[in-house]
Amino acid sequence: MARFHRKLSFVGVLMKRWSTLLLILTCNLSPIRAEEPSRAAVEFFENKIRPLLVEQCFSCHSGKKQRGGLNLESRANLLKGGDTGPALVPGEAAKSLLIRAVSYKEELRMPPRSKLSDQQIADLTAWVEQGAPWPGSGATSAPGEKIDLQKLLSHWSFQPMRLPSLPAVARSAWPRNAIDHFVLAKLEQHGLTPAPEADRRTLLRRLTFDLTGLPPTPEEIRSFLDDRSPLAYIRVVDRLLASPAYGERWGRHWLDLMRFAETSGHEFDFEISQAYLYRDYVIRAVNDDLPYDDFVREHLAGDLLPTPRRHPAEQTNESILGTGFWFLGESKHSPVDLRVDGADRRDNMIDVFGKAFLGLTLSCARCHDHKFDPITTREYYSLVSYLQSSRQQRAFLDPPERIGKPAAEIAALREQAARLAIDQTSRLLEARWKALPERPTSTTGRHETLIDYIVFDDFSQGDYRNWYVTGEAFGTAPASVYDVELDPTHTPPVRRIFRGAHSGRVSQRLMGALRSKTFTISKKFIHYRVRGTAVKVNLILDGFQLIQDPIYGGLRFAVHSTEPRWHVQDVSMWQGLQGYIELLDDGDGFLELEQVVFSDRPEPPIEASVSATREQQLEAIRHWREGKPVDRRILDALLSDARLREKAAPTNAQKLQELLARAAELEAKLPTPRRGLAMADGTAVEERVHIRGNPKTLGETAPRVLPAVLVGQRQPVSRQGSGRLEMAQRLTEPDNPLLARVIVNRLWHHHFGAGLVRSCDDFGHQGDRPTHPELLDWLALELQRSGWSLKHLHRLMVLSRTYQMSSRGEDNNNKIDPLNLYLHRMPIRRLEAEAIRDALLAVSGRLDRRMFGKGPLPHLTEFMVGRGRPAKSGPLDGDGRRSVYLNLRRNFLPPMFLAFDYPTPFTCIGRRGVSNVPAQALTLMNNPLVLQQARLWAERTAGLGDRERIQAMYEVAYGREASTEELAQALEFLGQQGGTAQSWTDLAHVLFNVKEFIFVN
Amino acid sequence: MHCHKYQPVPLTRREMLSRCTNGFGAAALAALLADPAYGVAPPSPVNRLDPLAPRVPHFPAKAKSVIFLFMDGGPSQMDTFDPKPRLDREHGQPIKVKVEPTQFNNVGMVMKCPWKFRHRGKSGIPISDLFPHLSECADDLAVIRSMVSNFSEHTNANYFFHSGHGQQGRPSMGAWVTYGLGSECRELPGFIVLSSGMIPPGGLDCFGSGFLPATFQGSLFQKGRQPVADLTPSDANSQKQQNKLDLLRKLDRAVVERLGRDDKLESAIANYELAHRMQTAVPRLMDLGNESKATLQLYGIGDAATDVFGRQCLIARRMVERGVRFVELLCQHVGHDRWDQHSNLKAGHEKNALAVDRPIAGLLKDLKSRGMLEETLVIWGGEFGRTPMAQGADGRDHNPFGFSMWLAGGGVRGGTIYGQTDDYGYHVIENKVEVHDLHATMLHLLGMDHKRLTYRFGGRDMRLTDVHGEVIHGILK
Repeated sequence: MARFHRKLSFVGVLMKRWSTLLLILTCNLSPIRAEEPSRAAVEFFENKIRPLLVEQCFSCHSGKKQRGGLNLESRANLLKGGDTGPALVPGEAAKSLLIRAVSYKEELRMPPRSKLSDQQIADLTAWVEQGAPWPGSGATSAPGEKIDLQKLLSHWSFQPMRLPSLPAVARSAWPRNAIDHFVLAKLEQHGLTPAPEADRRTLLRRLTFDLTGLPPTPEEIRSFLDDRSPLAYIRVVDRLLASPAYGERWGRHWLDLMRFAETSGHEFDFEISQAYLYRDYVIRAVNDDLPYDDFVREHLAGDLLPTPRRHPAEQTNESILGTGFWFLGESKHSPVDLRVDGADRRDNMIDVFGKAFLGLTLSCARCHDHKFDPITTREYYSLVSYLQSSRQQRAFLDPPERIGKPAAEIAALREQAARLAIDQTSRLLEARWKALPERPTSTTGRHETLIDYIVFDDFSQGDYRNWYVTGEAFGTAPASVYDVELDPTHTPPVRRIFRGAHSGRVSQRLMGALRSKTFTISKKFIHYRVRGTAVKVNLILDGFQLIQDPIYGGLRFAVHSTEPRWHVQDVSMWQGLQGYIELLDDGDGFLELEQVVFSDRPEPPIEASVSATREQQLEAIRHWREGKPVDRRILDALLSDARLREKAAPTNAQKLQELLARAAELEAKLPTPRRGLAMADGTAVEERVHIRGNPKTLGETAPRVLPAVLVGQRQPVSRQGSGRLEMAQRLTEPDNPLLARVIVNRLWHHHFGAGLVRSCDDFGHQGDRPTHPELLDWLALELQRSGWSLKHLHRLMVLSRTYQMSSRGEDNNNKIDPLNLYLHRMPIRRLEAEAIRDALLAVSGRLDRRMFGKGPLPHLTEFMVGRGRPAKSGPLDGDGRRSVYLNLRRNFLPPMFLAFDYPTPFTCIGRRGVSNVPAQALTLMNNPLVLQQARLWAERTAGLGDRERIQAMYEVAYGREASTEELAQALEFLGQQGGTAQSWTDLAHVLFNVKEFIFVN
Repeated sequence: MHCHKYQPVPLTRREMLSRCTNGFGAAALAALLADPAYGVAPPSPVNRLDPLAPRVPHFPAKAKSVIFLFMDGGPSQMDTFDPKPRLDREHGQPIKVKVEPTQFNNVGMVMKCPWKFRHRGKSGIPISDLFPHLSECADDLAVIRSMVSNFSEHTNANYFFHSGHGQQGRPSMGAWVTYGLGSECRELPGFIVLSSGMIPPGGLDCFGSGFLPATFQGSLFQKGRQPVADLTPSDANSQKQQNKLDLLRKLDRAVVERLGRDDKLESAIANYELAHRMQTAVPRLMDLGNESKATLQLYGIGDAATDVFGRQCLIARRMVERGVRFVELLCQHVGHDRWDQHSNLKAGHEKNALAVDRPIAGLLKDLKSRGMLEETLVIWGGEFGRTPMAQGADGRDHNPFGFSMWLAGGGVRGGTIYGQTDDYGYHVIENKVEVHDLHATMLHLLGMDHKRLTYRFGGRDMRLTDVHGEVIHGILK
């Protein structure tokens, strides 16, 4: 009983303790319960806190205005907080975002205009410390607006495409193909009549400029006029589609979408290495009629295709060049905040991606869910995750047989030589070892790994598991004890055993890159054990691709050392960022990377001696010879032991020399690898949502998926790496409602002066509705049906009767449809900047039709000034090359282009401006290029009689004959000017200035 | 954190008018329709199609024109308009607050201002001895000591300062102003950039029209004899030149007849008329022969140190006189870099100040004496300020967290100091003014509500101030 009692009392104590505990808990919890506060607390709140909130905060955080999703009108709302989390932790000022923000010490500083007074901050802090008592608590305001995705999904462009039947038309004889049915039906519906057919000369000029960006030559005009067959027009269409100029013209249209330029802009306008290869790739792809879905897949994941397309002549990897587009934007050489810079750069990539391929303004979802289209912020960051899992590279484009094969042959010879040398060396060592009176007992060479040092990689696993290899230089695995430096004239012939990642084992002439997996900078220093010459090591942080080492330095170092040494990199200012190490062997040097170690300590890890017994040493020598596993460090010590080398018996060097000579012969013939700007796969990374677009306030992670509006529930599965290939494949499946619609609309835009959807780059809610929705779907499905052949679509469009209408509208039609939305006539269009320049050159006879390659530098005028100005000017006439081949420097675009609405290459531009500035008139009237071409043109026509000469000029410039009146006017003018050679130049100059020259009707 | 990726969707003139019916566009449309050229009177081709025709603002304007003196590189606030005694006290010591990342990451000790500050004018505004002439105009200045920018790099900061957005591709403020108000000048562009030789990082895109029609882009006028590209008639013989133009007119008329009336075609023809007028107007504008000797002296023209900028300041006045809406002046090369003194602050700032001090003072005085200052808003400032601690031994790095600018004329209350930085002059602590606020204030003084000056494209009504901006009433009359 007593015992039982005691037990009870024990329980009693326990209960008592529990209740104490409960009491403590309750006390701690009580402020959160928001019980009605004391009178003093109410007074304090009403006198100090509420007025402060009202005056300083409510203008942005009350009522409908809830900046950052935060409403400060009630305690509950403070507890709920905004986008960056709860604003208040009652009783804990230091943890309360409200107090941290008003303290003006962190990223978030409130109120944004002026810091509160010290007294006000003290009051707020005291209030929070007291538990933030708020009289009459409990009221909450309405939750913030949430976008109704389901509703937005009903937008026309997100609906599946439907094959419409051809609409019935009253003028049933008018249509030539399906396009005409749709257009005519709309015209009839609006009481409009189609314009009559354009005359043949007008038609030929229109068609030739449209498909090639050049005027028809007199011979082409003649041949078309002489061809009276009903197939004459079709023949011209096929000829033009097959001409190389077609790819130059339509490739240029594509470059507008890709914000193509060959420099990075920003402060110094650095070159983007070999950007023109992308331009050439596009021109070839367009000329080859590469199916559009393939074209898109190559852009998104051309580096990952199992069997890439090859250049027809060079056999280089063609597909991978498509991915270069990602990196053609503006970029900085020295961003102060890498995170912000990275976020801006990726935003541009997504913006271009969204608009160009999908007609979607995805970038709108960077800071908040898209206000108009069904795209969430998380979906935006899902796309960012694809980019964060990818990298930039100067890819190796050669087919295996060009460099890989000879490299393998050299490697085989070297291996043979190595085997021989190791055999000789080991026998020598063994003999010496036995001959030595005093046996060596200890070896050195191991780097002690202290607890303060984290080894990222020391390559002891014998593979590149932590690295991505490109090019031939680094081989497929780190160096083993059989990768040795040889010298046949030396005794012993093995001078050194290579270590770790080594880019000169086979030949120093080979090039390559080694990129590490992505890791987070967790320590203050990175230590590299390196040796080499003429090589670079980059640290790529948050995708910041180095143009050069930034001004503040520390992200790149060159290696110049024949002996291994430690390089210490201070990364303390980037802790928390993700990045990777990039080893670049871009020339005749080599790099040997033995280890990479992370540490908070600035001094490298200490080398400690390692001892080995005589037996172990002897065994190591034998094993080396026999090809058995062996500890390299023991061999290193033996090789560096001078006693073992002295008085060594001479080796028979002849065989070795022979092998190495054969290798050297092959080496001398190794071609320089061909490289190109491209994307590469990296470690799979999931980006976190940037709350309100701020890279410093991070939310949930965003998996690599596509916006649901495009693919529904059937998401691509990323097995490894970036997952871009799966993404590209999913995106180009026929159920994507936007891909085909957007591209056929772009073709329509360029052929007919305006898209069926006028906002070519925005098919979302804020974009224009299609004027002919059924026609758009018909064309899109026809594109898919044809195997995504763009030439097929061009053909359909220009063979339509619609396209062949005159540009002169009837008055009645113009009244009903003044904007010509329904195409009752063809529009009159001004030529683009490039077509104007190309036409000048074509007419004057200066045009040089050479294709591809690095283009001529811009011709510099005194009005093209600023940092990054090229050291020398290109020729005035750009060597006569077509405009698409001119070197395009972001900060030094040709003034003539800018005058004629050449777009600033900052994002996808599907529709150029057609403006009017005096600079256009001044250019054509006074620019030296125009005058030069006028003179050339006049000279070219010399030798003809006056009338024939004038006729010839009219034909080549306008594709038509001069009227009797025009002839008379020209002759009169020539007389006024004195009838000299210069008079003809004057006439040529006037003809360049007549609007007919720069307009197509 | 701005929505900024909307592509230009150029419009036809009709579309533009019909789309502009919201907000400010309505005023523009009304103004255009009220223009006799659009209404009853038979339209002359030039006016009918001239997008630079003057427009009626939202409300009565204080200022008609803007002269923006862009101090490329970023003048130092604590060496010019924001005295900080603490720097003297702690000179040579480490700074006692958290250091923000900088462009060069070469952070030195606190560095005092090498110049003396004095209270100037009746208002007693402190201005350092870098600006002895400007100090005489102290009572005309509203000094903002609490500017901030979003960028530490020149190019981004320049784009941001000019267009309210840190990347290439947005319309410059001069383009916005000209879009909003058109131009009073019938023979010159509405937005002119007067270069004294140095183009700021970011290049000519600082003055671009972005997604606005190219009509509104800044026209670069170089110093020297040929200020405008391709302006000089190609033919020295004026009769022969005239013959060419006559033939051109005839042939162009025939084109219109043959192809039918078309806005684009006709405005392209009309365009030649403006170009033609420019050819005669520009040489007259640049010829300072009829300016008095006293005026030339006022601007420091003729003195080696001030001649270049003095001329540009005088030409700016002459442009404003002719009704040019927005004139921006760029810095000249003074042997040192522009205001970007990463090292040798003393020599560099002195040379830069010397080049502009007297010309700017001359401009203010000249405008005032001609009664033009009240209608001309003059803005002075760089894209950011500089650090209170040295970069290396004797320079200062970029500082976007607090810097000074001033405004004068056109509805601005002279003799004002607005805003405050901390004791180091490092961060703003009171009345922070963002670049968007500056833009809003400028538009306000020009009679425009920055929220209603919009341009629709890519599905959004774009503004110079994006989704930000508040008028700084504290510096207004």
